[in-house]
Amino acid sequence: MSHYLRNGLNAGIVFGIVTIFLVLIGFTVTASDLIGTFLGNASASGVLGLPAVTFHLLIFLFLLGVWSGASGARKSPTEADSWRRVLSGAGLAGLILGILAGGLAMLIGSLLLAGVRMSTYFAQLLPDAVRLYLLGLSPASAAIFYVIFFFISGLLGGVFAYRVLRGSWRKKFSIWINTKTQWILNGSGIQLFKRTKSIRLIVYALAIGIVLLIPLVIGDYWNYTLGTVGIYVLLGLGLNIVVGLAGLLDLGYVAFFAIGGYTVALLTAPAPHHLLWSFWIAIPIGIILAAVAGVLLGVPVLRLRGDYLAIVTLGFGQIIAIMLRSDALIAFTGGPKGVSAVGGPTFFGRSLGTPEDFVYLILLAVVLVIFVTIRLRSSRVGRAWEAIREDETVARAMGINTWSHKLLAFAIGAAFAGLGGVIFASRNQFTGPEDYNLMVSFNVLASVIVGGMGSIPGVVGGAFTLKGLPEVLRELENYRILAFGALLVVMMLVRPEGLLPTSRRKMEIKELHEDANEAGETSGGKT
Amino acid sequence: MESKASIRTHKPVSTYRIVQIILGVFFSGYLIWRLYDVLIAHPAYGPDTWLRFAIDGFVLGSVYALIAIGYTLVYGILFMINFAHGDIMMVGAFGGYFVFEALGAVQVPSTTGPGLSFLNAYPAISVILAFLAGMGIASMGGYFLEKIAYRPLRGAPRLVPLISAVGASIFLENAGQLMFGSQRRDYTNPTVLERGIGWNLIVGGKPVILTYTGVFTIVVSVITMIGLYFLVKRTRLGRAMRAVAENKSVAALMGVDVDGVISRTFIISGALAGLAGVMWGIHLGLVYYYVGFIPGIKAFTAAVLGGIGSIPGAMVGGMFLGLVEALGPAVLGISFQLKDVIAFSILVLVLVFRPTGILGEVLSEEKV
Repeated sequence: MSHYLRNGLNAGIVFGIVTIFLVLIGFTVTASDLIGTFLGNASASGVLGLPAVTFHLLIFLFLLGVWSGASGARKSPTEADSWRRVLSGAGLAGLILGILAGGLAMLIGSLLLAGVRMSTYFAQLLPDAVRLYLLGLSPASAAIFYVIFFFISGLLGGVFAYRVLRGSWRKKFSIWINTKTQWILNGSGIQLFKRTKSIRLIVYALAIGIVLLIPLVIGDYWNYTLGTVGIYVLLGLGLNIVVGLAGLLDLGYVAFFAIGGYTVALLTAPAPHHLLWSFWIAIPIGIILAAVAGVLLGVPVLRLRGDYLAIVTLGFGQIIAIMLRSDALIAFTGGPKGVSAVGGPTFFGRSLGTPEDFVYLILLAVVLVIFVTIRLRSSRVGRAWEAIREDETVARAMGINTWSHKLLAFAIGAAFAGLGGVIFASRNQFTGPEDYNLMVSFNVLASVIVGGMGSIPGVVGGAFTLKGLPEVLRELENYRILAFGALLVVMMLVRPEGLLPTSRRKMEIKELHEDANEAGETSGGKT
Repeated sequence: MESKASIRTHKPVSTYRIVQIILGVFFSGYLIWRLYDVLIAHPAYGPDTWLRFAIDGFVLGSVYALIAIGYTLVYGILFMINFAHGDIMMVGAFGGYFVFEALGAVQVPSTTGPGLSFLNAYPAISVILAFLAGMGIASMGGYFLEKIAYRPLRGAPRLVPLISAVGASIFLENAGQLMFGSQRRDYTNPTVLERGIGWNLIVGGKPVILTYTGVFTIVVSVITMIGLYFLVKRTRLGRAMRAVAENKSVAALMGVDVDGVISRTFIISGALAGLAGVMWGIHLGLVYYYVGFIPGIKAFTAAVLGGIGSIPGAMVGGMFLGLVEALGPAVLGISFQLKDVIAFSILVLVLVFRPTGILGEVLSEEKV
């Protein structure tokens, strides 16, 4: 079989499976909603006599078909380009995709007509969703339609790949991008900014002023969201020290978050203990307790490396979660019901309870934590951490006490999480076991990884993307965690250093890849 | 001078050792006291209850052992924790579930009396089909998991495939949740394998039920484990697997297809997870998207407990963990809600006291 046909076959099967998967998880419905939101009212009346939702679904499927065609038309370096070959690969990809998608339409369509309630088994295959997928046609005609539809869109994808991605357009585009970036970087404004201190100061002052003014104008809902993102930034910065700087994969990070949250709750709430301490006293206590817990966990487990550490910390996080949820600690922590009426901060008798106040509080905490991180990173300790991350044995040979440095990383990371937990519980005025499930750990880990391990702008950016973006695109809420998982895998495959990596981390990854390529498979041996 | 220097470098190690020993004595003393208290001083349960706990433990342990072998096989070859292994088990459990549901809906015409469903008319065939479906889909899951998420990362820094594995696990779990919904589903067994029925044993004047599903689970998993042991020790594939585990480049020089062997290892470990998933469904009767996560971590604990990389170790570790989990709350006198805490504490304790596990080879610190 020629290379093109095989390529097309592979692309068709992969995209066919992806399409079936998207239908089963209900993403097709969501995507058509989303496209509808983007296109606005212009298409609401429907085009070509189709209802608007169907039209939007077809747009989405069309894009999938084009993509499969483009990927089916990929060229191997040894083969010459020719229209015929490109189109045979793309067409085959589209055809296979069409057959799989059409087969699915046939199957679920006839099951629907037979009156089988598919949603008992596949939660997303509600009758309406199936009818949408059938485009209002009978199962057989929908299947035929899909075959033709995907075949044509696959061919278009092939043309697109051939003309646009490979041809002269691509070259022109990259030249255009390069000149533009050069122009921006070397432009007079940037140069002036780089050279003149007073202008720099003014720009920074303006930026800070705008940031400080934002919470005043955006209203409670967005302030609340911003606060949530801010707490995740705090957590991310803490985990960044553990994972990003010291290279210790901690999957039970949420436990420290929980310790902070429960500390403030138990100290300030009236319910289980009636201590009613001030929020400001609870902050340092929460931070210290979390750090102590970090040390207590760290002492036994930090002798372990990599994988074992990950799973032990995961186990620790689970232990804390199970204890909080069970009845064993019900007298002490309120058990599954949690603690309500957690005290908030006050300032000379004025209560600072609004989301707006909390945004400022969180901002202050974030700035403080960023300051501490920067100072630590460029200190002796920070360099020791990075040395441990790069190669622990060599670090030890260089005279670094690896154990105590790792312990310190654990404790500081835990302390930041404790601070985040204190603010989180106080802002919600409630804390319960469900706030501290494992997904929090994974969320934070994803934002550290996606942003770039060790990089502060990366963590901030990562938290905004992973926690803030789903708030903006509410339709995608269900797929958020799914996307986290996929994102972690894809980031590791494509860009393990993250989106905004520190220059050193980038170098390391590159070096290691080169080393690995040189050493081949030998590194896996039992040495 | 030299001896002095060496004493100084060893000092922290020996203090750690002393702390270990003190803690070890403390724990074993506590355990002995609790055993004395529960069994002799204040006997809370009769022998029938203890036997029931032990049976539960063995059944659970045999499932853990199967999952643990999957971890151990992969760890032995790639030195990475296949974090998504528990979720592969979930996939397998759903495979068996759908076979049972489909066969339960098919009516078989019968000459005598009302027609039975295929599931009840041919229970043996149905169970075999369910196992085949669960194992097939789970081994496909394992194969694609390796191909997509792990293979491109071979040779990357160790944290990279681990994070990729965590990502794959999150992805599988949530894909399961989105597809099948969040509700817990009942596994419909054939009526002969109904949960809760079985042989009645009389122990201490009270009946103890030895359920059919439990015996079935133990028998199937023991047979599988024996088969697997022979696969690894006696067959060509097993020899290739051991060679790849020993040294990949040398194995490749000897003409072993390293990538192929790794793929097949993932297929086998996926099939074992699928088997465990279907048995989990048949015995415990619940299946939902999160069903594989906790057993996955516990099975990892079992693998570590037995010595990761060793197949007999995984079996022993799994059985031991199952027993401890079933008997632990009663012995320690704590709430049964906290049985998971026991399993995770064992993980931490094993890693602290004996990271090589019960039957483990001595690993260099590099590996641990």
